[in-house]
Amino acid sequence: MASTVVEGEGIGARVRRKEDARHLMGRGRFVGDIQIQGLQEVAFLRSPIAHGHIRSLAKPQGQEAAVFFWSDMASAVTPIITRSTMPGYKLSSYHPLAHEKVRYVGEALAMCVAASRAEAEDLTEAVTFDIEELPAVTDSEAGKAADSALVHEEWGDNLCLVTNFDSGIDEVAKTAPVKVVREYRTARQCMHPMEGKGLVAYWDFQADQLVVITSTQVPHLIRTGLSECLGLDQSRLRVSPPDVGGGFGYKCLLQPEEVAVAWLAMTRKGAYRWVEDRREHLTAGANARQHHYKVTAYADERGRLLGLDAEINVDIGAYSVWPFSACLEAAQAGGNLPGPYDFRAYRARTYSVATNKPPFAPYRGVARPGVCFAIELTIDAIARAVGRDPADVRAENLVQAAQMPYTNVTNKHYDSGDYPGSLAKAREMIGLAAIRERQKGREPDGRRIGVGFSTYTEQSAHGTKVFAAWGLPLVPGFEQATVKLLADGTLEVRAGIHTIGQGLETTLAQVANQALGIPLKDIAVKLGDTASTPYSTGAYASRGMVMAGGAVSKSATELAGRVKRLAAHLMQCKPEDVDFRQGRIHAGEASLSFADIGKAWYLRPETLPEDIDTNGLEVTQGYKPDVDSGVFSYATHAALVAVDPDTGMVEILDYVIVEDCGQMVNPMIVEGQAYGGAAQGIGTALFEESPYDSSGQPLASTLIDYLLPGPTELPGFRIGHMETLSPYSAHGIKGVGEGGAIAPAGAIVNAINDALQELGAEIGQIPATPERILNAIFAAQPKQAAE
Amino acid sequence: MTAHPIELTVNGRRVSGMAEPRTHLAEFLRGPLGLTGTHLGCEQGVCGACTVLIDGKPQRSCLTFAVSCNGDEIRTVEGFDDDPVMTELREAFSAHHALQCGYCTPGMLVTARDIVTRLGDVDEETIRRELSGNICRCTGYVGIVGAIRQVAAGKTAVAQNWNFEARHDAVAAKTVEAAPAAEAAKPASMDFSTAGDGFSVLKQQVTVPAPADQVWAVLGDIRRMAACLPGASVDTVEGDRVTGSLTISFGPIKASFAGEGEVARDESARTGTVKGRGRDAKGGSSATGEIAYAVLPQGEGTIIDVTVRYKLTGPLAQFGRSALVTDFARRMTDLFAANLTAMLTGTPGAEPARSELSFLTVASMMLGALRDRLKALIGR
Amino acid sequence: MKPAAFDYNKPADLAAALHALSGDAKPIAGGQSLTPMLNLRLARPAALVDIRRQADLLKISEAPDAIRYGAALPHAAFEDGAVPDGTNGMMRHVAGGIAYRAVRNRGTIGGSIAHADPAADWISALLALDARVIVQGAKGETAWPLDRFMLGGFTTVLEAGDLITGVSVPRLSPSARWAYYKICRKTGEFAKAIGAVVSDPDRGVFRIVCGAIEVTPILLEARSVEAALAEIDSRLADHAPAARQLYKTAMRRALEGLGETSA
Repeated sequence: MASTVVEGEGIGARVRRKEDARHLMGRGRFVGDIQIQGLQEVAFLRSPIAHGHIRSLAKPQGQEAAVFFWSDMASAVTPIITRSTMPGYKLSSYHPLAHEKVRYVGEALAMCVAASRAEAEDLTEAVTFDIEELPAVTDSEAGKAADSALVHEEWGDNLCLVTNFDSGIDEVAKTAPVKVVREYRTARQCMHPMEGKGLVAYWDFQADQLVVITSTQVPHLIRTGLSECLGLDQSRLRVSPPDVGGGFGYKCLLQPEEVAVAWLAMTRKGAYRWVEDRREHLTAGANARQHHYKVTAYADERGRLLGLDAEINVDIGAYSVWPFSACLEAAQAGGNLPGPYDFRAYRARTYSVATNKPPFAPYRGVARPGVCFAIELTIDAIARAVGRDPADVRAENLVQAAQMPYTNVTNKHYDSGDYPGSLAKAREMIGLAAIRERQKGREPDGRRIGVGFSTYTEQSAHGTKVFAAWGLPLVPGFEQATVKLLADGTLEVRAGIHTIGQGLETTLAQVANQALGIPLKDIAVKLGDTASTPYSTGAYASRGMVMAGGAVSKSATELAGRVKRLAAHLMQCKPEDVDFRQGRIHAGEASLSFADIGKAWYLRPETLPEDIDTNGLEVTQGYKPDVDSGVFSYATHAALVAVDPDTGMVEILDYVIVEDCGQMVNPMIVEGQAYGGAAQGIGTALFEESPYDSSGQPLASTLIDYLLPGPTELPGFRIGHMETLSPYSAHGIKGVGEGGAIAPAGAIVNAINDALQELGAEIGQIPATPERILNAIFAAQPKQAAE
Repeated sequence: MTAHPIELTVNGRRVSGMAEPRTHLAEFLRGPLGLTGTHLGCEQGVCGACTVLIDGKPQRSCLTFAVSCNGDEIRTVEGFDDDPVMTELREAFSAHHALQCGYCTPGMLVTARDIVTRLGDVDEETIRRELSGNICRCTGYVGIVGAIRQVAAGKTAVAQNWNFEARHDAVAAKTVEAAPAAEAAKPASMDFSTAGDGFSVLKQQVTVPAPADQVWAVLGDIRRMAACLPGASVDTVEGDRVTGSLTISFGPIKASFAGEGEVARDESARTGTVKGRGRDAKGGSSATGEIAYAVLPQGEGTIIDVTVRYKLTGPLAQFGRSALVTDFARRMTDLFAANLTAMLTGTPGAEPARSELSFLTVASMMLGALRDRLKALIGR
Repeated sequence: MKPAAFDYNKPADLAAALHALSGDAKPIAGGQSLTPMLNLRLARPAALVDIRRQADLLKISEAPDAIRYGAALPHAAFEDGAVPDGTNGMMRHVAGGIAYRAVRNRGTIGGSIAHADPAADWISALLALDARVIVQGAKGETAWPLDRFMLGGFTTVLEAGDLITGVSVPRLSPSARWAYYKICRKTGEFAKAIGAVVSDPDRGVFRIVCGAIEVTPILLEARSVEAALAEIDSRLADHAPAARQLYKTAMRRALEGLGETSA
């Protein structure tokens, strides 16, 4: 569904991306592509044991200089410790190389260096070690038990953080006519950017500094983190991110390998590279998504939600990641479970349970794919309990447009939007009425069809106040950007945020174009390098366009004023008579090029007026929205599925997204984010799972074990847009990066349960594998299983 | 492991160099040749980021060794500047927003070009199926499929070039048919479960046509017991302490666990245990296990109740297809019983023990290195 | 991950290849099954013997009652119809469903059989076709039926020094029909269940194979849908109910689809 076509190249224009050309020619520059004279490759020896005491660790004879243990760096390196002011939060020391204990399979024991990766891997096999195995904690429920083994003995239990929220539910619990009780489980996942994490680190003698070329979403944060861990002044540390082959949250962390390899370059003054391979990603990389919910919902006879009582367990793995901590997930889960719904009685206890698995990291949507799955299945369960169509019950429970802005039961401030409007539009696009008709008959192929909806609201670009309340190492403040008009009239835009595929080189240029009218081909966007860009906390929380877009807009607007004043002087008119059209500067009949302006400042200063702004043609401004508690994007996803009751296989027949991210800067990119996010959400719903056995061994170490959705597993998405501008942000922009991943599990599993309703079967666990669906059918129809 | 000289044509240019046998074509292209457009995404043959043309046919450069491409013609994403179809695809990819991070893009383009040239004007369903060997994590494939559809529209298919020699024979070539199989013994019943502590437990009853006394004696001699386990060897026996190793293989996988163990016997109850642990030093996998057995007379013969508990850690444990191992364990147990029978009755087994079949280490290291999940990768 | 080091040689002829294979060497043709194992360092042979271009392994010989295919013929050659087919299109259909095109271009029929993954397509299809695996070794050339060639998952009769040189596939009568139904969670990935049926009344052949069962595929004795499902339940009673449900569904759909696939 096309929105209004915006002419030109500014905000709202569907323009092609500036970053495409190099990738299409195979000329992208990723960490693995970098060639430096004398570059050595690093491989890590990783623990095969989930939990144990390191009894001995020995370097191969004759290769001592190429193998490193924690003991080699202990005197110079501080382990990664992520602090938080959340009450009761417990600290963990995450050593770049294991110290005394290993706490998950894949934890690095040793770092080995050689001329090639293959030889470095050979070296890892020559290291000898002895680990005394301890009982492993592999389940969040069991990890809470008093007699559980302890991941961190000094904690006394495995609870990194417990939160309690209660707005008062007892009254509703006593009186509500409808009560629905459910348990839900979401699988542990790996994020799988196609490029693993990785870095090249070397010592730059000319600048007398350590240069770290790392695949990251948050280069300026990495400088802070590395500086703290290495005890190296920030002025002697440059983080220069290359092309990043996907992030999704995985690359917004300070990685232990980053610390280890940076230490190597800092102390050895050489050049070193490590790139995570797929097996490392699957068995040792940070994980995400694993929640366990126990939900009791209270409603009236019409299905109006009156109250919600939830226990949420998050399996956080062994260590708290920097800077987001292992507890952001549960904190977000507890705060976001009420979702887009209007009710006031809510109780939630969250448990962040340490286990002997890789650390937990925020993944696209952060907690919300889990809570959305839980609340959306609950809404449908209520609808079934009262015998009404889930779409109707959902519509009545949503916060209504007239209630905006709306502060919900957990004090989230929903700035704007029409949630029921998105549902109504999705309902129409998917053709609910026709589907209900079709369901009255039989499908010719024996499958059963079902339709499901899922509506979410997503806090994006939440800022200072929100993060300060969590007391994390990271608190975003003013996002800065620099714009600089050069002597030839071309424009340079520099921002400290980084591009990881989300198209910021294009969209930030569009924002600059909006203010100045300079064509995109004449705008160069440079991102992320700490040596040349102003500070940014980076790309996370769907904040790129809201924050960096706002900053570029503010800087470019100020530059526009300076250009106008200078142009007015040169054209002998008033600044307010100057405007920008077709890439030139006009005043009545007269016009100048931007090159004329650039030339005046840089090359012909004798032509400048007496009262010229001596800041020149370069502007750096900081920006945050007037209200920075977050701007709330939202969407409704609708899925039509066919479930084969003989195989448990699910086919997505149709998939509709109706989204509202406020002002779209580039609708093509918005759609790309929505499709890509939804594709990952479908992975969550149907395919992706990293199982662990009871001794903590990961059971998916290849892409044969861990299924990523391919082109035949995904539908041709259909999208509809709504554009409710945020009252708080520049241009009314809201975040769009993460949202697509939030809703699919709810929509698809609701659709599956709709399809299975006649069989009396229901599932509450994802991924909804054929085996789980068949077992649900068997449980509901014991006869069929026995046949 | 000496490097071999190789000579290839890459993007129309003759190149030569030295390559270690284990160097993938992808690494050879990316390293010495500096053609870094070919990306490595999984090195497991699944993601397709490394797809290049070898002799005109798209193939995985991560599943291809440079030495085996000697003399071949390679074409990478950098080698299509003069290719009209690739020019159209690049244009369409940009117009359809078919790339975000760009990492999968080179492999996508090579595959896309193959779809368009080999299949011509194809529908969306075909495009999606043909594209299924290339994973994109960013776009949901919407733009990629759209771009390929646009470029494919109106194109004529050109069949891939093959040239195999077919010879007509008046009669089939004579080949000796394998001797018919001896009537297979009914597989032993086996009870397989997973305990909560990470151990897998296997219970099995083995019937041996030999008197219980004799069986009890043999099981007490760790070296003789080991002889029934192909791949097992005992190095030292000192009292209850045993050291030794077990080499197992499963398809192309081979692991050699070296370690130690303890033997315990209860003469009156005629029960015994062998406990042990061992490590496959090269592969980094470890095994821990325990065999408990009870010897019970049954008529002229003997029943041996065997309970095996084992746990595997490390790479060999990190897969997911459970029934494969149950089958492996069953076969190993049958083989062990057959060898034991042969030893006790003095008749050679129907089939001699095969070196790659093995069971239970002496030091008990475990039942095949393959717990309930050895999953072989990509067999096709 | 990168493979552990190994030696490599590319023998001039088949005799030299067989000689080179004694000891801890593995043959490699397409390497599409072996190389992932090498990359993960799960397979660590001392040497690879490259047989991809051995002329003897790329030959096809057509006899009146069977076609013998060289072991190094890639799947895609079957898919494209670039080799003669005596199975009324069954081999072409099966080949086109193996993994992905880039793998099919290099992976070979002999390599897939040697790997003996129970979920592999050729294993089940060739058992249904009553093909013979031709193994050349110290004892000369032996022809093995698939279900005897395979001793179990990933385990075969092949010993050090043995090499699969070809596959001999009986020609079906023009009236013969076949069906092949597989259940995969994802295109190109391993099957969770395969039902393969070949019905050739003129030759008195009716073969039903239940495959992708994590053990050697089984040839059913049943001759009807109901009997086949019952036989699966009884012979694979120790498999999980959900797994058996998939086997039975694949089997039923293959048998029901038999009418629709005649040449």
